Amino acid sequence: MSSVADKIRFEPSALPAGLDELRREVREFLEETLADYSPAVRSHSWEAYDAEFSARLGAQGWLGMTLPKEYGGHGRSAFERYVVVEECLVAGAPTAFHWVADRQSGPLLVRYGNEEQKRRIIPQITAGKACFAIGMSEPNSGSDLASLRTRAERTSNGWLVNGTKIWTSNAHRADYMIALFRTDPDPNKKHAALSQFLIDMKDARGITPRPIKNLAGGRNFNEVSFVDVELPEDALIGTEGQGWRQVTEELAFERSGPERYLSCFFLLRKLVDAVRDKASPATMARLGAQVAWATTLRNMSLSITAKLNAGEDPALAASVVKDLGCQFEQALPGLAQELCDLEPTLDGFGLEYQQVLGNLVQVAPSFSLRGGTPEIMRGIIAKGLGVR
Amino acid sequence: MNETRQMLEDSVERLFGDRLDWDAQTKIEESGFPRALWDEVVDQGIHKVLASEDAGGLGGGWGDAYPVLRACGKHAVPLPVAEAMLAEYLAREAGCTLPDGVPGLLPAVLDADDLDGDRLRLAGMRTPWGREAAYLLGVADGGDGAELVIADTADLDVAAEDNIGRDPRDALRGDARVVARHALSLPADCVRWLGALVRSAQIAGGGVTCLDLAVQYAGEREQFGRPLAAFQAIQHYLADLAGVVASVDSITMAACEAYDVRGMSGAARNARFEIAAAKCRASEAVEKLTRLSHQVHGAIGFTYEYGLHFTTRRLWAWRAEFGGAGEWGEYLGRLACEAGGDGIWPLMTG
Repeated sequence: MSSVADKIRFEPSALPAGLDELRREVREFLEETLADYSPAVRSHSWEAYDAEFSARLGAQGWLGMTLPKEYGGHGRSAFERYVVVEECLVAGAPTAFHWVADRQSGPLLVRYGNEEQKRRIIPQITAGKACFAIGMSEPNSGSDLASLRTRAERTSNGWLVNGTKIWTSNAHRADYMIALFRTDPDPNKKHAALSQFLIDMKDARGITPRPIKNLAGGRNFNEVSFVDVELPEDALIGTEGQGWRQVTEELAFERSGPERYLSCFFLLRKLVDAVRDKASPATMARLGAQVAWATTLRNMSLSITAKLNAGEDPALAASVVKDLGCQFEQALPGLAQELCDLEPTLDGFGLEYQQVLGNLVQVAPSFSLRGGTPEIMRGIIAKGLGVR
Repeated sequence: MNETRQMLEDSVERLFGDRLDWDAQTKIEESGFPRALWDEVVDQGIHKVLASEDAGGLGGGWGDAYPVLRACGKHAVPLPVAEAMLAEYLAREAGCTLPDGVPGLLPAVLDADDLDGDRLRLAGMRTPWGREAAYLLGVADGGDGAELVIADTADLDVAAEDNIGRDPRDALRGDARVVARHALSLPADCVRWLGALVRSAQIAGGGVTCLDLAVQYAGEREQFGRPLAAFQAIQHYLADLAGVVASVDSITMAACEAYDVRGMSGAARNARFEIAAAKCRASEAVEKLTRLSHQVHGAIGFTYEYGLHFTTRRLWAWRAEFGGAGEWGEYLGRLACEAGGDGIWPLMTG
């Protein structure tokens, strides 16, 4: 008897043999490179922006690993990249500068970019010298992304863009933005009227990012206005009107990676150190349950990596991992406070554990907002189960 | 899933899918052990996935056993198939063959006090299907290594007791005559650990049934002029449920594979880690699996007539059997505390 659960089976995928050496090298590199970074900075991990660190990682050959050699990538497997990414996250390496480029913009350009774009940009991504922003959300289009209104109109020699993007991480310092615009004003073509564009942020005129301070005082994301921005003909990525499909493919990368359960791993490490000498069996049971969850999520995430590596579409499975991973990592700051009753503190005050908690307890609400909310994920899963 | 495993899963599905509808389950709960169905299991050799080829088995690994165990959980099989599979595995590792009939698998380690010459002294050990057992099978900590002990069931006092899934968990008392002792190449606590793995796989299967029934019911039942599945709150319950099902399935499959590769002894980082993670996650998951599937069903799911309970009552029992989330979480938490903050990740990545 067939079952709806057959659609979401995660075949185990142990990492292939022979990656231990790579893992050891990455660990050593990170230990050395991050020795002087404070625990609070390290707890920001993939939100911490550090161009110098990204260039060093690039020099090691650990960015753009899966991109083809002919364009300056390293032609390595998705599993090799996975090892580097998970080690960076666990170590609390500041990866925000290269994060988007390495995770999704590089693969997107290889798939849909034109020859010139690939030859010019992939080597910059691989070197850790290109920071990408993603222009998706708009002031009136959050979860309902397909309702976005920023227009790209055809001109005699290119495109003219007008509108506003919001929550655009690093737009104020990115080298490039990949944005989703409406290229057809026909209101009946909601999804089919969207197209993706590559914008060179250093060249374009009329783009004004306005940083938005988040609740913790961080300044990563922006509101970005586009006023009569002229883009060249070949700024279009892929096919006009296929932007929604292309973005959906891209989101499978975004929703299934190890960052979906490791955002608070640095806190788990510090929590274990804070309680280990006096942990009761009940406390150990709670800690162990987190280890079990993390191990489960790692297996699920690896299983999706195998699917991506084999060229399969894991969109449904990726939504499951995003939803579960978010539940796990968002609950960790609360659990930490339950098991170790110390006040969360600002950088520079209190114990290391308290500072890390102080940062993560403040940023945790964003875990269920970025990359699609649980409400959206569950809608996608329900559709996959055939009930929507 | 590879071809062999798909074939195994299909054959178990075929056998139980037809014969264990709710009417059949009800009759079994009224009249006891379904001997004819057990005979079919034995005829088809479903319990022999882990048995050696010499013993008429498939000589498979736990990765092959997983789809069979999961399917047994999915169909709430009221037979000791999972216990018999584990018994056959123990016999293979001890290089012996088992007597015919239903095995009485003793879940706890036997120590020197329990074994006296050819007598095995039992003081009320609760044993799955003890009342049906043709023989007893247990693992003793022999000091120099583990031993597989086989004893007969004559002269035993059997106090019948069911778990809340209505599967027999009978208390055995008295002196049983030991008929064979074989050196066993597994740790003495192997039944506790492999039992936990077996129950995790059954929970994974039970979760599938919770999801299937909830999805089906939400599509059929209408309120406010629409099927339940049209309501976003219900869609989100089902999606949440599906994620939990997938998580138990994933970690338990991974634990089976890990055991096939690394075993349970020797190297510091063997498969005990994954097995503990699987049973911890599976036991913890039972809360959501049962709560959400019952909630979607409303009052009908609370009736005896509607058979969701054949699954959910077993899930509540399996959650605790061979240790719950507390015991297995504590095992992992102790490892984490010993390893320290910097050591957790190397532990996870093995």
